[in-house]
Amino acid sequence: MLHVPVTGSSESAAGEGFLSVRGLNKRYGDFIAVDNLDLDLPKGELVAFLGPSGCGKTTSLRMIAGLVPATSGRIVVGGRDLTTVEPYRRDMGLVFQSYALFPHMSIAENVAFGLKMRKVGRAETEQRVREAISMVRLTGKESHRPAQLSGGQQQRVALARALVIRPSILLLDEPLSNLDAKLRDEMRNEIRDIQQRLGITAIFVTHDQAEALTMCDKVAVMNAGRLEQLGTPVELYEKPQSPFVASFIGRTNRFAAVAKNGAAELAGLSIPTPAGMTGKVEVMIRPHRITLSAPADGAPCHAVEGVVTRSIFAGDILQYEVVAHGATFLVEQGTAAHERPLEQGSPVRLHWLMSDTYVFGAAA
Amino acid sequence: MEDRPISLTLRIVAGIMLLFLLAPVLIVVPISFSADTYMAFPPSGWSVKWYVAIFQDPKMINAFWVSLALAVLTTVLSLAIGLPAAYVLVRLRPRGSEAMASFFTAPLLLPSIVLGLALLVVFATFGLLGTFQGFLAAHLVITLPYAVRVLSTALSTLPRAVEEAATTLGAPPLSVFFRVTLPMMRNAIVATSALAFLVSFDEVVLSLFMSGPRISTLPVEMYHHVENEADPMVAAISVLLIVLTFAVVVVVDRTAGLSRTFVK
Ligand SMILES: Nc1ncnc2c1ncn2[C@@H]1O[C@H](COP(=O)(O)OP(=O)(O)OP(=O)(O)O)[C@@H](O)[C@H]1O
Ligand SMILES: [Mg+2]
Repeated sequence: MLHVPVTGSSESAAGEGFLSVRGLNKRYGDFIAVDNLDLDLPKGELVAFLGPSGCGKTTSLRMIAGLVPATSGRIVVGGRDLTTVEPYRRDMGLVFQSYALFPHMSIAENVAFGLKMRKVGRAETEQRVREAISMVRLTGKESHRPAQLSGGQQQRVALARALVIRPSILLLDEPLSNLDAKLRDEMRNEIRDIQQRLGITAIFVTHDQAEALTMCDKVAVMNAGRLEQLGTPVELYEKPQSPFVASFIGRTNRFAAVAKNGAAELAGLSIPTPAGMTGKVEVMIRPHRITLSAPADGAPCHAVEGVVTRSIFAGDILQYEVVAHGATFLVEQGTAAHERPLEQGSPVRLHWLMSDTYVFGAAA
Repeated sequence: MEDRPISLTLRIVAGIMLLFLLAPVLIVVPISFSADTYMAFPPSGWSVKWYVAIFQDPKMINAFWVSLALAVLTTVLSLAIGLPAAYVLVRLRPRGSEAMASFFTAPLLLPSIVLGLALLVVFATFGLLGTFQGFLAAHLVITLPYAVRVLSTALSTLPRAVEEAATTLGAPPLSVFFRVTLPMMRNAIVATSALAFLVSFDEVVLSLFMSGPRISTLPVEMYHHVENEADPMVAAISVLLIVLTFAVVVVVDRTAGLSRTFVK
């Protein structure tokens, strides 16, 4: 597969991070679960691992935690090479989807476990446990058993238990997916708050796009064992570096075209293609970046005549399906007061900025 | 409300079954307090002399201590062997672990008379007949399949994530095992102990093959006693055994919960 970015990435300039992963691989027999993962995370950032089910998010996280041996590759945290270090000496806090609390211990004992393993003194243990429990707002529940708490409370215990050891990195594997929607929102904010307050470096595995985009500093989009792109939510949205990222993050119009002599033909238009690109390409345009009137500032844009074939009023947005020169465009417009949706069959003229047009080499 | 008549029928059936199961107890208890010199129901008079007689019969007392020591050791060894075996079978999964699991539980399928005969032949060649070690080995043949079975089932249903959480919190493998895995297997361990203890203490068939003139277990001694005499002493012993069994069950119920332990 050849991915040629339209624009250069700001990430390529980044140096070694606090967490630095180099060429991490995991094979199960012939199957490649994680393919040559390179990653640099600065200290104090919250990074999401986002991707479809089975793309290797959990496997990557577990390799970083040391629970799964890597087939090859290197893991360095804060200058310390952890590649061959046992998982119980890695000093990482891991929060599981299933909470994984110790059912035979009280909440306080659960939280104290990591300190006990580190032979922290009694007085200090008590104080740190108290602080951790109060940080996740569970003061008063110290002597309860995990089974006596709700799912959200259990997940907060898991968070306190992982944080009380002051881990170098906090790893969260879909920590919210067993919670209902309302609690999920609440916990999302809570985790983000705590992470920022403690300035802890954290990886947050999720396959919920909104979760990744709204709460994380950066998002690592993974697909089929590969890291497709690491960037801020805005970068991923505005400058996707692969057709996968462009279509996985947000909605998009995808057109197959053929690149010849520096341009590809789409709906009668000639779309400039990156230098050196020939053969099959994919052209992508975000539905809400297409406008029905020309941009006021006269920025360079593409324009095409078409006919509305479907018109959907969805409350805050209007969705049109427009056929232009045989190509079907999805167009999204914000709704304004007293605006009447265009009827089916109305002629329209579509405009979109040249800079909002993404061209990728198609999969061979 | 539709299921009322069914539940009434069910209750009657359950009552009859309970009566049927308890019938031996209902007969044995009165006989044990008999004043007669032979077993008869109902007894013509009452006394506790047969209870006194047990404690004056050195053969019975000896056999009791043998049985108790045997049951305790069998229980301890069943756990000591069963736990590592279950761990290897479930967690380390070496090549052929499935075959090994079947092999471990195979004795459950053999009639104990066949097993007894086989052990008789083998133990005779090693001079183990009529020895404590012989009894112990024979009882382990019966209790280990249960132990491995119950413990591996418990281990395989135990969520790995909990152990992994302990690992990431800084617990080395042995700490994880003793602080997390073992406590979480508590119910299975209690169940295995109770099962091993009761099976060993009650075991007759294999013990008959193993016993010799110098050593014998309580059930075997009782069997011989009934063969030779018809006095109500065995009834008194039986009542004591029922009490012991009941005590074990109560202990299990108090520590682990009976239905949680056995009904799975
Ligand atoms: N022990 C294993 N043996 C063989 N294949 C495995 C093993 N563990 C994971 N895999 C495979 O590796 C791939 C990546 O798995 P992983 O659990 O990392 O996915 P994921 O991105 O976390 O998915 P999800 O969002 O569903 O949790 C999957 O295709 C999975 O089938
Ligand atoms: Mg996963």
